Amino acid sequence: MGAPNNLALALREVARELFFIAALTVIGASFSLYLGHAQVPWAEPEITAGEIQLADALVLDVIWVDARSNEEFEAGHYSGAIHIDESDWDSGLVILMDRWLEVPRPIVIYCGSEDCGSSRRLADRLRQALPEGEIYSLKGGSEERPQ
Amino acid sequence: MKFVNCIVLLVRLVLVAAFLLAAIPKIQNPVTFAISVESYRILAGQAVLWVALVLPWLELVIGFGLLIPKMRRASSLLIIVLLFIFVGLHASAWIRGLDINCGCYAIENVSSNYFLLISRNCALIIAAVFVLARDWRNHAWNGK
Repeated sequence: MGAPNNLALALREVARELFFIAALTVIGASFSLYLGHAQVPWAEPEITAGEIQLADALVLDVIWVDARSNEEFEAGHYSGAIHIDESDWDSGLVILMDRWLEVPRPIVIYCGSEDCGSSRRLADRLRQALPEGEIYSLKGGSEERPQ
Repeated sequence: MKFVNCIVLLVRLVLVAAFLLAAIPKIQNPVTFAISVESYRILAGQAVLWVALVLPWLELVIGFGLLIPKMRRASSLLIIVLLFIFVGLHASAWIRGLDINCGCYAIENVSSNYFLLISRNCALIIAAVFVLARDWRNHAWNGK
């Protein structure tokens, strides 16, 4: 009669200890977040896989690929950028391959803004066409630094 | 009896040291620890960041918890559970042929010796079970 009662009591005490440990752990983790030591797990990542930030692209001496419309490209583009229109993929790819084969460098594709998807689509297609290439889409698009 | 108590205290202090030494570098540098967690290729994205945030603090709390009578049994239990998880992770990485830094203690760029890691964790499991058994018995004898 006494043994089951003792076991139930012991389990209840262990459960209380576990709760206390959980509470202290949460306080500690919150302290890390408060001090800024740890990255906030639920925050949006600054860049996702396959993206690059402008500051990094500028120091890499990259091959720029402009994925915007022809009019936007004519109005201004990054120095030395190649224009590739998704509707005229083959000719754009040939020009890019020629440039890349001269001196293989990272390729960075940009479009008009953070929300435009053409640079990411083009990057995916290019990764298939040029699997040896180091290919990124520019975070933030040409809004970062229009030329 | 006193000799056994000394052994229990020694084993308890070894466990405390093992968990505190594991926790502190990770709390100081959670980003590097997150990279180690990710290198096991079991978790990704936010789950990695949650583990990197919470696990070091849990290790710290249960490390100290072994010294606090009101937290001893739950701390020992959690230590045993964590060590079994670590053994499983190391075995999994070993089987998959991953050449990674285990992220166990001071975070350095050294490949893991899986046999040593698993052996060490098994020894710690035995130590934790020993301490838990003593604490459970002492608690019962104290009339609780």
